[in-house]
Amino acid sequence: MFGRMNRRYDVVVVGGGPAGLAAALGALDSGVSRVLVVEREPEAGGILRQCIHAGFGLHHFREELTGPEYAERFVTQVMDRDIDVAPHSYVTGLAVDSSGHRLVRVLSERGGLATVECRSVVLAMGCRERTRGAVRIPGTRPAGIFTAGLAQKLLNLDGYLPGRRAVILGSGDIGLIMARRLTLEGCKVEGVFELMPYSNGLTRNVVQCLDDYGIPLHLSTTVTRIHGRDRIEAVTVAPVDETGRPDAARAWDVPCDTLLLSIGLIPENELSESLGIALDVVTGGPKVDSTLATSLPGVFACGNVLHVHDLVDFVTEEALRAGRFAGEHARQIRRPRDAIALVPGANVRYCLPHTLSADRPHTVYMRAKTRMSPCILRVGNLLERRLRFVVPAEMIHLTIQPELLERFYEDRLQIDLLPVDGGGVP
Amino acid sequence: MTARQEQHYVCISCPIGCPLRLVHEGDQIIEVEGQECNRGAKYARQEFTDPRRTFSTTVPITGAVYGRLPVKLSAPVPRQAIPAAMAAIRLLSAEAPVRLGQVLLRDVAGVAGVDVVACRTMDRVMITPSDDPSSAT
Repeated sequence: MFGRMNRRYDVVVVGGGPAGLAAALGALDSGVSRVLVVEREPEAGGILRQCIHAGFGLHHFREELTGPEYAERFVTQVMDRDIDVAPHSYVTGLAVDSSGHRLVRVLSERGGLATVECRSVVLAMGCRERTRGAVRIPGTRPAGIFTAGLAQKLLNLDGYLPGRRAVILGSGDIGLIMARRLTLEGCKVEGVFELMPYSNGLTRNVVQCLDDYGIPLHLSTTVTRIHGRDRIEAVTVAPVDETGRPDAARAWDVPCDTLLLSIGLIPENELSESLGIALDVVTGGPKVDSTLATSLPGVFACGNVLHVHDLVDFVTEEALRAGRFAGEHARQIRRPRDAIALVPGANVRYCLPHTLSADRPHTVYMRAKTRMSPCILRVGNLLERRLRFVVPAEMIHLTIQPELLERFYEDRLQIDLLPVDGGGVP
Repeated sequence: MTARQEQHYVCISCPIGCPLRLVHEGDQIIEVEGQECNRGAKYARQEFTDPRRTFSTTVPITGAVYGRLPVKLSAPVPRQAIPAAMAAIRLLSAEAPVRLGQVLLRDVAGVAGVDVVACRTMDRVMITPSDDPSSAT
């Protein structure tokens, strides 16, 4: 029930976005009945509520939905299945009592500070945007500089147009989507500037968000200075060389009253860190085993708090699994410890989960370091798959069947992405 | 006889984004290649004869948890009709409660069969005095 919070649950989910909602449903599927979702916003749905564009659900629902539609399908299921959702609420801490129960400290606007007892916790706090400080853009500190997602919230939830003449730094999907959105609302988008020699967003978004509206995309170019006293008045942009160093001689000024930053996302792990959960320095999220359990017993993680996904469909898939394992844990079902470490090899930035077991199929998510086309995905000496292309912006997913691991006796399995002529299996 | 020409597109049907090549003689499509699935060929033909797009925006809503209601087009409109569709939507407003899929405007910008529909349910919320910043003392 929306707004209800009892004292005792089987599973408590931290965060009511797409990951949290799916995790709650997954927990219920595993046979537990008392599940609570703690959400800091006035309603569940998370970032999807402000992602009003279409493009969600192609994998999970086999149809193209807008963000709010995708969220509503899950919110409806959560309500129909009598999962409790506590809005305007924060989880501030977690402890374990002598009988092994987890005590979750919840701070809510109406109820004040409360302690909720449960057997498993799912972390689904999502991620946040990198800001100007993360890329150290020199210049003044005027108003009018927004992260792309903040501008999206202001525009789509609150109805405020952030400015009339915008420059967008970073060609991630949020930046591209916002370029179109601002244009539709009558704001002039002067251009999208991308440090890398390729767009970090999906090609379809470059086509339908920039090309359709005649918005220029400047690759290998970045913002080198911000001008303006009270409100931003212009930015200096400059092409960069292969090492990313800007060429001041070829710089030019772009007048604007708004600068949007779409320069990456960081998993939001302050709570995980305060609990002493082991984090992966590459993903920025917790280290997890094949049940998506973190280093803290009974605490699971999924969605963008674990690693930043590019499609919500994959968040849903991962969170359903995390929820099911959290539910199993709450029902005192214990699985043997994973025996195989999964490690990233050539051109693999990271792969998840960090460990595998040989007793069941596993979904493995990974990301490439650089673009490669075509290439071979190699899993130890067990499996080779030819891929048409890999790009850092698109997550690769792979199912590893238990038969494959049946006669694998090592404790370390490496995943490589190799050029096609880079030699086969020995 | 007109000469063979080719057009290049990037398919936007799904996130893969296949590079497509469409060969034509005047208005006559000869062949499409580069697609991973049928939708690519369909997209290239559509793009060549009548490029269509869809988009989302918001309309003001009163009595709901937020002041904006997200809306979308029920089907794509010709690309050049987007400004007219946007202008028509700008005149709309809604009052909570609104149901997901509720039609706010039929045949937007004169495009038969394309409606403006709500992308979410927005319940009517009661504003209690403590929630209303204007009544704060």
